Amino acid sequence: MDIYLCSKRPSWLVDNRRMRTTSDFQWLLSAFVLLYLMNHVNSQRKETPYDLKCTTNNLQTWDCSWKAPSEAGHGTLSEFCIDNRSRSCYQLARTNIEIPALSRGDHEITIRSLQDAGSSTSKFILNEKNISLIPDTPEILNLSADFSTSTLHVKWNDKGSVYPRHSNVIWEIKILRKKSMELVKLVTHNTTLNGKDAVHHWSWVSDLPLECATHYVGIRCYVDNLLFSGHKEWSDWSPVKNVSWTPASQPKVFPQDKVILVGSDITFCCVSQEKVLSAQIGSTYCPLIHLDGENVAIKIRNISVSDSSGTNVVFMIEDNVCGTVVFAGYPPDTPQKLNCETHDLKEIICSWNPGRPTGLVGPRNTSYTLFEGFSGKYVRFKRVEVSTNESYHQLLFQMVPNQEIYNFTLYARNPLGRSQSTILVNITEKVYPHTPTSFKVKDINSTAVILSWHLPGSFAKINLLCQIEIKKINSVQELRNVTIKGVENSSYRIAVGKLNPYTVYTFRIRCSTETFWKWSKWSNKKQHLTTEAIPSKGPDTWREWSSDGKNLIIYWKSSAFRQLTKPQNKSSFREDFSRQPQLRLILWLFNHIEPKSCYVQNDLQTEQAVGMGKGILLTWHHDPNMTCDYVIKWCNSSRSEPCLMDWRKVPSNSTEALIQSDQFRPGVRYNFFLYGCRNQGYQLLRSIIGYIEELAPIVAPNFTVEDTSADSILVKWEDIPVEELRGFLRGYLFYFEKGERDTSKMRDLESGRSDIKVKNITDISQKTLRIADLQGKTSYHLVLRAYTDGGMGPEKSMFVVTKENSVGLIIAILIPVAVAVIVGVVTSILCYRKREWIKETFYPDIPNPENCKALQFQKSVCEGSGALKTLEMNPCTPNNVEVLETRSTFPKIEDTEIISPVAECPEDSSDAEPENHVVVSYCPPIIEEEIPNPAGDEAGGTSQVIYIDVQSMYQPQAKPEEEHEKDPGGGAGYKPQMHLPINATVEDIAAEDDLDKTAGYRPQANVNTWNLVSPDSPRSTDSNSEIVSFGSPCSINSRQFLIPPKDEDSPQSNGGGWSFTNFFQNKPND
Amino acid sequence: MSRREGSLDPQADSSVSLLPHLEAKIRQTHSLAHLLTKYAEQLLQEYVQHQGDPFGLPGFSPPRLPVAGLSAPAPSQAGLPLPERLRLDAAALAALPPMLDAVRRRQAELNPHAPRLLRHLEDAARQARALGAAVETVLAALGAAARGPRPEPPAAATAAGVFPAKVLGLRVCGLYRDWVSRTEGDLSQLVPGGPA
Repeated sequence: MDIYLCSKRPSWLVDNRRMRTTSDFQWLLSAFVLLYLMNHVNSQRKETPYDLKCTTNNLQTWDCSWKAPSEAGHGTLSEFCIDNRSRSCYQLARTNIEIPALSRGDHEITIRSLQDAGSSTSKFILNEKNISLIPDTPEILNLSADFSTSTLHVKWNDKGSVYPRHSNVIWEIKILRKKSMELVKLVTHNTTLNGKDAVHHWSWVSDLPLECATHYVGIRCYVDNLLFSGHKEWSDWSPVKNVSWTPASQPKVFPQDKVILVGSDITFCCVSQEKVLSAQIGSTYCPLIHLDGENVAIKIRNISVSDSSGTNVVFMIEDNVCGTVVFAGYPPDTPQKLNCETHDLKEIICSWNPGRPTGLVGPRNTSYTLFEGFSGKYVRFKRVEVSTNESYHQLLFQMVPNQEIYNFTLYARNPLGRSQSTILVNITEKVYPHTPTSFKVKDINSTAVILSWHLPGSFAKINLLCQIEIKKINSVQELRNVTIKGVENSSYRIAVGKLNPYTVYTFRIRCSTETFWKWSKWSNKKQHLTTEAIPSKGPDTWREWSSDGKNLIIYWKSSAFRQLTKPQNKSSFREDFSRQPQLRLILWLFNHIEPKSCYVQNDLQTEQAVGMGKGILLTWHHDPNMTCDYVIKWCNSSRSEPCLMDWRKVPSNSTEALIQSDQFRPGVRYNFFLYGCRNQGYQLLRSIIGYIEELAPIVAPNFTVEDTSADSILVKWEDIPVEELRGFLRGYLFYFEKGERDTSKMRDLESGRSDIKVKNITDISQKTLRIADLQGKTSYHLVLRAYTDGGMGPEKSMFVVTKENSVGLIIAILIPVAVAVIVGVVTSILCYRKREWIKETFYPDIPNPENCKALQFQKSVCEGSGALKTLEMNPCTPNNVEVLETRSTFPKIEDTEIISPVAECPEDSSDAEPENHVVVSYCPPIIEEEIPNPAGDEAGGTSQVIYIDVQSMYQPQAKPEEEHEKDPGGGAGYKPQMHLPINATVEDIAAEDDLDKTAGYRPQANVNTWNLVSPDSPRSTDSNSEIVSFGSPCSINSRQFLIPPKDEDSPQSNGGGWSFTNFFQNKPND
Repeated sequence: MSRREGSLDPQADSSVSLLPHLEAKIRQTHSLAHLLTKYAEQLLQEYVQHQGDPFGLPGFSPPRLPVAGLSAPAPSQAGLPLPERLRLDAAALAALPPMLDAVRRRQAELNPHAPRLLRHLEDAARQARALGAAVETVLAALGAAARGPRPEPPAAATAAGVFPAKVLGLRVCGLYRDWVSRTEGDLSQLVPGGPA
């Protein structure tokens, strides 16, 4: 305060000697002057009254006080003068004075101290701005505590009557806790002063139960008067008041059975005289907060929803346990889907969904009150804690007479809050009738019945809309809506017509109001059989002649097929089916049936058709002659005649019909017959076989091999029965390949392997197949399978081995033989026709010495110049002689080769021109004495003689030794030309002519006529062999075949040991 | 089990032969007590199950506070004669039903969705009453009926808060189990061939 006053003093405290200045520009100068004066005053204050201060607590009076001079003693008089319009002075024996509040503006205050030694005077300028408004210290009238809610209630008086003007007051309240008076709350509370005393209340809810610790409350105020320009200050704090709870001897936990919002914080305390050991909420232990004495507390934050019986909070004390239960839940949700309706227009049922569960049960559960606004009536919801999963609540409200509009408000409340929901309904439009009861059916006639039922309710003023369900056996249910007027007695009747006679119906009914809201539940079903009536038309009939033509079979349609067989000699008959109440039928139009109409036309061809799904579509051209109708009958083709599965009549103007039947099965062949009706009867128009759906055959065709040759197989198969074909046969697939039974790889026929040959036989009339171009003596694997449009059937296989190719073998034998014969004949003919030439060439009468090879010169000579050489008669070594002989008994020298070991002529020397005169040394032949007894063996000679026929030239396998043995005559050695042995062999008699020709001297061959033989002739390879091949007489290297005259007779022509089979063994397989 | 004193102990006095119908009644009552002992144990377990933690947790044992009008079977009563013991049994069984009813009512508020617990509490009150009546019948047959009119059962004990009510209910269920078990044991002394 002193500081404040000091700071304020320059503004209003002025020395009496100071001249007040009003000029602003002199302000600075005045400031300096003021500082000077202040120093002067401070130096003088001890001598005059000083430090004048004024305050107010009610704005009506000012309390001013000052300090007397230091020399003034106690009881010194002072004069306090206020200089305003009328100077007023007060003689005072004290240094304070209460003066009425001065008007706005400056007021000069003069204080003169009247002392014994003299007087001292001080002057002050007093303004409202220099006044401090300090309210009186408030006093708490009452402090009370609601321990159940931990609420403190503070009551005090604002003393507003002392303030002349309207003022705002700010109250500051502090809450202190525990004996140590810890500040726990400091709040402000605003009020206004209206010139009268008023008692104010303020409440505060403690987070800590008030029982847990002593709570203190203090208050102060601040008056905020807008018209007061002075300084405003807080009042002093009031004396504190406290609330405390007297603990019992037994420990106790607070708060007890508290209901709080889920997620909130709460503090529990245990007031105990004994030490608390631990505390826990549920199974969770909590840290202890120590309060005064042994009291402790625990703080729970964000508490979760409690179980049904609440959450236990337990404090463990030595030898004791104390606790409490807290119920954490939610306030009631807004009632959802509030709906009010009535069953009987007597009572309104309002139902709603309580929404989110509150988690509170029992006495803490939500209570509901249904309030009706127009009538002011209400009902309360009485809870029945039985159903745990009750999703809807409902309340019954008795209807108010003559009131149709209801304004319902549903209030929901629980310890944590409240909510409400409203609905405005016209109850006559919200009628949900009860379920009709006592439902009965009575007959009126065969096609009408009366339905009666009981429907409780006051529906006399409204109309009811009822729905009747009529259901017939094996038929679609029918619903009929009827509107009936409501009655008071709740009994209703209605007639239902358009029923079928003698038919079992099932009825049931439900009702609503004409202003539809909800259907009632269906009544119980009532089954009823309508009474019988006269049949209106005959049954649908059909007839067939039996296969023997003696019986007529009548079919008609009812609930099931019936069949009667009527002898032909009867025109009509009657049969009573009274034992079967649902079928009473009289057939009497038999004479109208013309058997001839059933005859099948000769030119009628059976057609094929395939259906789709469960039906098959038959079409035909419109025939104006058909005046009645068309009848399509069908039957399973596998059934024995007459067969009939069903028939169908279509109008005469129809050109197609989709035949459907649950009896149709895929893969079953059905016969369809289309009959046209004309006056004289039915005529068969079309005959169709068809399948609803084609399937693959289930069996393979049974096939056999009819014939087998070396290069072909003839296969024959049988038809597949219709039942097993399961579709129209479209062809066969024939597979074959080479393979043995155990090695055939024909497994996957569909893979298109190249080694499997397939023949697709689309001509289903074909029952055989010849497979040609096969190999002989080869095993073939044959597979045959049939197929339809439904797929391929199973396969059947067989292994067949072709026969050996005997014709080829025969041909292989005959052709070489024929060729050999032809060659022999031609050779013989040629030899015969050219015998002269041959003779001249090979056996001239006078041999030409030049052609004598024996007379050729030595090789060295021959290789010399081409100059003529003279014959030199030099002795020479005899040469070997080869003689070709025929089988003639006469030794025949066909060729003679004189081999000289001394001199050999090259081969080309034989090509010497005839004109070349070659000097050839002639060496007389000397018989080589190799055989000691030439006379002992005529066949053997001293020379080696080899007989080679023509064929043997082509037979390397031939053994000359064998021939030598077979032809003893041929073994004659060298026969001297002039001394030829004569053999009288019988077999050579035929060669008589040759014998004549060869007798005597045999000239040497003419060199010019000799042909050179190719060195690569068959015999040339044997040039080193012991048996030297014969050759030209003039060349030891040349070979010449001398064909015997009778070569064709040579038995060696067949070539023993050579097989024609071998000739063909290189033939390729195929 | 040690032999207990009592003038009606059949083993103690061989001259006493129980009539067949009395023997049957004793057997029947004993069987009922035996059966109810099991039920009482189940009831106690189920009660604890519905009170939330820490009820039922190991280590949590609230003090056995005295219940007005009903004391627990005291070990000191073991020395009493058997008729006296049976009379105590009958008195306790007669005092239990209103207590069990009070517990049921409180549990109906706390656990309205636990119908089995509520039904078992209701059954327990009825069974305690039946067993008490059966014991009294046996006592009457043995000529040891309680003298004078039976005192009115005490008012049902109530607790101010929910937690004390839970503890009280636990205590009542425990007393029910103890008294039924004690009755079974006492009746077994009367059953021929039973433990001496």
